Amino acid sequence: MSAPAVAMEQDKKLDSDKEKITGWVNVIRNKASWSWVSLPSLFLVWMLVAIPFESYILPQPWEVADEAWNEMMFPTVSEVMDDDGEITIIPESERPSFWKFISKGEANNALKHLFRGELWPHVGWSLLEEVGGFGAAIIFSVLFGFMAGFFKGFREYIVPLNGLFMAIPPIAWAPLMVIIFGLGYTTIVIVIFISAVNPMILTIMEGVLQIQGQEVRAARVLGARKWQLFLYVYLPASLPFVTAALRIGFSQAWRALVAAEMIGASVGLGYMVQTAGEVGNSRLVLLGIAMIGLFSYLFERTLFRPIEKRYEVWRLE
Amino acid sequence: MAEGNHIGGDNLAIEELNFAYDNNLEIFQNLNIDVKPGEFLAVLGPSGCGKTTFLNLLAGFYQPDSGTSQLRGKSITPEDPHLGYIFQAANLFPWLNTIENVEFGLRMTGMDSKKRREVALKNLEMVGLKGFEEFLPNKLSGGMRQRASIARALCLEPRLLLMDEPFSALDEILRDKMNDELLQLWDQLGQTIIFITHSIEEAIYLSDRILVLARPPGGIYKEVINELPRPRDLRETKSSELFWEYKKELNNLIQEVQAQAPLDESEIAELELGAKNG
Repeated sequence: MSAPAVAMEQDKKLDSDKEKITGWVNVIRNKASWSWVSLPSLFLVWMLVAIPFESYILPQPWEVADEAWNEMMFPTVSEVMDDDGEITIIPESERPSFWKFISKGEANNALKHLFRGELWPHVGWSLLEEVGGFGAAIIFSVLFGFMAGFFKGFREYIVPLNGLFMAIPPIAWAPLMVIIFGLGYTTIVIVIFISAVNPMILTIMEGVLQIQGQEVRAARVLGARKWQLFLYVYLPASLPFVTAALRIGFSQAWRALVAAEMIGASVGLGYMVQTAGEVGNSRLVLLGIAMIGLFSYLFERTLFRPIEKRYEVWRLE
Repeated sequence: MAEGNHIGGDNLAIEELNFAYDNNLEIFQNLNIDVKPGEFLAVLGPSGCGKTTFLNLLAGFYQPDSGTSQLRGKSITPEDPHLGYIFQAANLFPWLNTIENVEFGLRMTGMDSKKRREVALKNLEMVGLKGFEEFLPNKLSGGMRQRASIARALCLEPRLLLMDEPFSALDEILRDKMNDELLQLWDQLGQTIIFITHSIEEAIYLSDRILVLARPPGGIYKEVINELPRPRDLRETKSSELFWEYKKELNNLIQEVQAQAPLDESEIAELELGAKNG
């Protein structure tokens, strides 16, 4: 190799080293997102705080994870149903742990057992109630929100009502609904509907009012008639604040749901937390709290983020 | 720029038109204007004299209190297919890309998607935006947005083009360029154009006739027939003696208008607010 060629090789190597270094500097300085730290730090604090406490008062995270395993996998405290439908009673101490399944390579067996635990009815009913109440709130708020945005008279009529209902904590309705409908689905759905629909109507209404007259005018001189204006201008232009309304509505509904289940239900995550608290099962309480947070996060990620991405592209200047 | 097919213009007649905002702020009294087919009319006036209101009245966004404004003998609605409107801000739909914006008007007529794409592409090429079909408006520069909005209006082959200070947000060099391009388009397509501006030079460079608006309530303060020869050329036209004579004359007229009993601040604010929301 000639001298210049060697020098060039060396330069190249230096350059790539430099890149590596600046790469790391960037990571440390500002390029890397620090969000990965948030959850571990929370667990760390939890672990530290839990040290002085007895396990049955404030359990460590892994003890809650163990609880989650039991609640997901095993029908009751000490029974396991095998494939023939026969119920075998096994002592709690002999239950296969998560690690046993993994280490023995019995993942298939684990999958068979999954969904047999007591957690799932609670999760299932909570989700069903959320779908019912939040779904009804979506339909009503889109309808009323757009109407309030378009028609001044309707706006003047409905805004005070929204304000009134938003001033009352939704959970205050729960006892009344229990009297009328009894414990269960209808009661919960109505309470979360009340909690979600009012802020959603207001958000959508504000959004419709904000749609610029200029865009509407541009569409009109291009020949758009009434229903075309709605379809091709108001609807796409409203996507950002309809999503905002969905977000607000979902979280309002989810909070109200958990609270309402503590009063007016016999199943559901809120009920699970409530009853676990009554019998002093702090592991189950914490598991319930974790599930409530987890589902909220999942909805955000799978439902609202994708919609938001659709309009982020054109909205940013 | 690509060739466009001749479209031609319609005549516009405004007779004894009166208009006041709901709050009784009178803007126009007994306005009479006759615009010939294919004429390039510039409307000039200091801010707060109702330039945009004038255009919105013509487009049919507002109804006159009395009198008529007729395009080829028929009163105008905003949805009229013979009417094109270029706004001060390009007013593209931010959720549609350039080509979808340009074909918006054709989509409203129900033209099938293949055909309207073809027409839109032709018009996009005409304004020099070929290759930017897939760009969203927020990725275009100010001048490109305004070009796209012109293409969008031209797709429907309007015979009357209303332009509301379309280049006022652009820098002077770009504005001169856009003015030349507009003149070329007009030369090919031949529509009637009513062009609102607060730039005296722009008005002289472009038009056949210049109306100076009076302070409200009023109408036309003075009309100046622009006899600068065509085709116009930026360097030649702007250095001609006639150009500077017009400029001096219009300067004086604007000064006179401004010396008229001025509106107070709140009235100007109302006027501008009305123009925005109305």
